[in-house]
Amino acid sequence: MEERQYDLIFICQPDTPEAEIDKIIATVEHAAVEKGGKIESVNKWGRRRMAYRVRKLREGYYVYMVLKSTHGEVVKELERRLKVSDVVMKYLTVRLDEELKRQEKLKRHRERRAARRPRKTAPPAPSAPSAASSGSGEQAATSA
Amino acid sequence: MAEENAPQQAPPAAPPAPSGPSGSSGPSGPSGGPRPQARPGGPAKRGKRSFVRKKKVCRFCVDKSDFIDYKKAEILAPFLQERGKILPRRMTGTCARHQRWLTVAIKRAQNIALLPFAAEL
Repeated sequence: MEERQYDLIFICQPDTPEAEIDKIIATVEHAAVEKGGKIESVNKWGRRRMAYRVRKLREGYYVYMVLKSTHGEVVKELERRLKVSDVVMKYLTVRLDEELKRQEKLKRHRERRAARRPRKTAPPAPSAPSAASSGSGEQAATSA
Repeated sequence: MAEENAPQQAPPAAPPAPSGPSGSSGPSGPSGGPRPQARPGGPAKRGKRSFVRKKKVCRFCVDKSDFIDYKKAEILAPFLQERGKILPRRMTGTCARHQRWLTVAIKRAQNIALLPFAAEL
């Protein structure tokens, strides 16, 4: 099975010491590896104001990770762990590989189109040069 | 009513249409259709009754974005109303495809408290 990519974000209590957060990250990483996944990157966004109150708090410590795995079991386990943890207020896992694939495809498609038609998107232009091609020969030459 | 519709979907200035030769216009139809809006003040000159309305263009099409990131709340925020509702397409001018992606992104952002579900008073 092909590899899947997930975004994993969780929010800790804002007053959690850094060491505690590192510990959570370590356990998450460990659990992911145990279940056959892999944490690609960890990014601590730090304290940040939340859009609404969670546990009566307005701020939270955001941690963002990218997870890669070939099956969904890892996610289940990681979410279970985050749920159990007291300092973690909220978490979200999003599967992204399909969207990224789509993005790649569209990008390739666009590039191919650009390559095929080197002239830039200038809709009013085509009628003008064709009509006045005799007059402005040099312009046509440069565009072609 | 007919008057209303006319300026919007009257691309009689049809130079953009022939630019899509045969096959390419087929698959890219739904997405590429409404994009090129480089009509220099065409509909502005109709009768004096019709006031000039600036043609809204999809922001994501302008940026040529193939993916709307739910993590960038500051990009998504302008598409919300004061109280946190998602703005409709007719207000923002977003194209159908990007609006579809946008709603998904906004809903994800809401779930992780990057955007509000409903703004508090």
